[in-house]
Amino acid sequence: MLEYIFNSLILLFSVLIFTFLIGTGSAYLVSFFEFPFSNFFKWALILSFAVPPYIYAYSLTAFFENYGTAYTILKNLFGEANYNESIPKFDGLFGVIISISFSLYAYVYILARASFLYQPQNLIDLGKNLGFTKFKTLYSIILPAARPAIVAGLSLVAMETLAEFGAVDFFSINTLTTGIYNSWIAFDDLAFANQLSFFLLLFIFALFILENLSRKKARYHMNSRGGFKQKQKIKLSGKKAVAAFMFCFLVFFLSFLFPLSQMMYWTIKFPENLFDLKIIDLLINTLYLVVLSSLVLIIFALISNYGNRVTKNKTLNILSTLSISGYAIPGVILAVAFITFIAWFDESIVKTYGFLSIKKVFIGSILGLVIVYFIRFYSLAFNGIKSGYEKINISVDESSYLLGYSKRKTFMNIHIPFLRNSLLFVFILISLEIIRELPITLILRPFNFETFATTAYISASEDLLEAAAVPSLFLILIATSFIIVTSKYILRDKDE
Amino acid sequence: MNKNYFEIKNVDFSVGGKTKVKNVSFSIENEGDVICLLGPSGIGKTTILRTIAGLEKIKKGSIKLNGKTISSEHINIEPENRNISLAFQDNSLFPHYTVEKNILLGSNRNKEKSKKRLSLKEIVDLLDIFHILNKYPHEISAGEAQRASLARSLITQPDLLLLDEPLSNVDQSFKEEIQVRLKKILHQLKITTIIVTHDSYEAFYLGSKCGIILNQGLKQFDDPYKVYHFPNSIEVVNFLNRGILIPAKVTGKKTLENWDLGTIEGNFIKEYPKGSNVQLLLQPEDLEHDDTSNLKLEVVDRKFRGTNFIYTLKTPSNTLIPVFVHSHHIHQHEVDEKFGIKRPIHIDHIVCF
Repeated sequence: MLEYIFNSLILLFSVLIFTFLIGTGSAYLVSFFEFPFSNFFKWALILSFAVPPYIYAYSLTAFFENYGTAYTILKNLFGEANYNESIPKFDGLFGVIISISFSLYAYVYILARASFLYQPQNLIDLGKNLGFTKFKTLYSIILPAARPAIVAGLSLVAMETLAEFGAVDFFSINTLTTGIYNSWIAFDDLAFANQLSFFLLLFIFALFILENLSRKKARYHMNSRGGFKQKQKIKLSGKKAVAAFMFCFLVFFLSFLFPLSQMMYWTIKFPENLFDLKIIDLLINTLYLVVLSSLVLIIFALISNYGNRVTKNKTLNILSTLSISGYAIPGVILAVAFITFIAWFDESIVKTYGFLSIKKVFIGSILGLVIVYFIRFYSLAFNGIKSGYEKINISVDESSYLLGYSKRKTFMNIHIPFLRNSLLFVFILISLEIIRELPITLILRPFNFETFATTAYISASEDLLEAAAVPSLFLILIATSFIIVTSKYILRDKDE
Repeated sequence: MNKNYFEIKNVDFSVGGKTKVKNVSFSIENEGDVICLLGPSGIGKTTILRTIAGLEKIKKGSIKLNGKTISSEHINIEPENRNISLAFQDNSLFPHYTVEKNILLGSNRNKEKSKKRLSLKEIVDLLDIFHILNKYPHEISAGEAQRASLARSLITQPDLLLLDEPLSNVDQSFKEEIQVRLKKILHQLKITTIIVTHDSYEAFYLGSKCGIILNQGLKQFDDPYKVYHFPNSIEVVNFLNRGILIPAKVTGKKTLENWDLGTIEGNFIKEYPKGSNVQLLLQPEDLEHDDTSNLKLEVVDRKFRGTNFIYTLKTPSNTLIPVFVHSHHIHQHEVDEKFGIKRPIHIDHIVCF
């Protein structure tokens, strides 16, 4: 038990430090300075979202393992030799830390950048006026003002890190999440799985409170119309420009280009894997899950938000708040809890009253998957639509009523057109999560129903990394295209 | 039979469970009349408009429009079914539609009505918003948004138009022009209107009647001339802030005496027994300047207001009195100089409390 907690804590703190440095550093550079390709990096740095930690872990191993890609490169450049000993090995806990950090730093990057962007120019001018150096302005003005946003970003990273399953499992590190999965799947020890879940939820709960607190403070940064003054970016030249470029390029390369090129390399090197896989089936399965779940989530979240807005009912409000806490619970716990609940319900209620077993309806079925996705991702849908709704002043509704529009017409003619962009954003955000999602899909999917994520995982867990490359590559490409479509919403700039 | 076009009877106006204005009663006699509600910020003027529009409910009293009860303890006709238009003070334009589309959304209402309707062009010309028609609300200034919102309300040709501080964000230079155009169009189209404002000049100009809302109540509801010249309470005097109250003793049917100014003549609007001690309302235009007068007071301040100066004079008993002097007056008096007041002092209508 102690090992699980210890590993989880080491992993958590290391990832937090890494993501803080990478995320805040790159956000600071692209927000305050102009250097070659700075506008490109502004959105390119969010592409790392397309690479889930487990695929990053596969790439890391594939590149640095004995006779891996690094070995091949060295051999082609310098001829045959025993390079294996001099090539560093990024595996074990360190490998997990690197994989998760490069995959998740974008949470910190996006929130820190948004906060930097909306920091009043006069605060920074004040620093200059007081004779502060750039570094002093950074640590005494810019960072403290962005603290709530950075903490919010780090809290999201922390929750995702504690919930991470694929990469941790791949490197065989015993953390709370893998502990729950293994004790339940391999040892059928539900009691131990529950104990581990309790600790994990305790950590998550603490983080959830921290994140909520910092989010409340983050509202401080919102500016009203006209209050935003576009910041004058400092143009860098010479060594400073090169250094800024190199930092951002390195982050972009390591977080996105490296795993992408590794997967492409293997797909090209072992083309037979491409033909062995039923790509169309995987694509259909993945998109089927994505579209179905997203639609269900969006419809419920839309109705719930609309209900809250129109009725202002306190009970409905509390229910909504409760229902969005699912995002904080790791997928593996949700899946296990769902199965446990259905099994209990089936045994003690359904069978007692002589009904047919409902297990098959919910476990190993699309319905079960959609339900658990719903619990896990409802907060994304709810909050995404809520933030869209918050931009519609209540007097807009009232104006509509006063123009003779009924509540239904107001919803259809005023709300829906206004929320169109938010709905698209939410749809893609949920899709992105479901495409990358691993433990829930793995545990609850119907027999013989595979997605890109599960196929990659199964191949990797069978030590067939090269076979994992093809589904991983497709997953990255689909996720990348989704991110590109939504990038302008993710990087909402008032100056654009 | 009730002949009033619009009527509010004993209504308590509340928002969020908190009563803002109590026991209000007033009426609008004829269709097409314009009335103004005047009061300081936060007093509940907007709550009154929102309630009339149906956005807030009432627990006491009744509101009738055209003989039909639209709000009471038991009746609450939904806002969309009232044909009452409210132009909000803040920007309530639909952010995802252009200004033109915003205005046209209102034009679909009451198509069957036979009375003259304003075309988009007429309304655009009236409010001078042609240049913003194709813009989105976030691309225009607060004043332009307010005019666009006003346009949307006007085009609906409502049974009752409610305007909440309609020109508060409009530039001063443009405000008077808009006021003139607005008054003309409301009159032409016979749109019954209630305007809420904290600008007394706007209220006096636009409204055929003015209601003064102070301290949770409607203190006076009368035509603007009477509200200004015959305020019915010290509260209203203080709110309009256009005069001061000085102690005086009634000495006859048409005279009273003040320690500093001596005898004051005029017509009492209310009778007081001889010998009564009263508070006399002295407005800046009540006293006349006369350099040759032997009644001299000390100048403590002078404000230039374009067409006139307002001198603040100190009496021997340290009372500060405002006096208007035409700005073309031959010479100006500096602070600390003496300033003559014409005697005998004659005030056309004497208001006392």
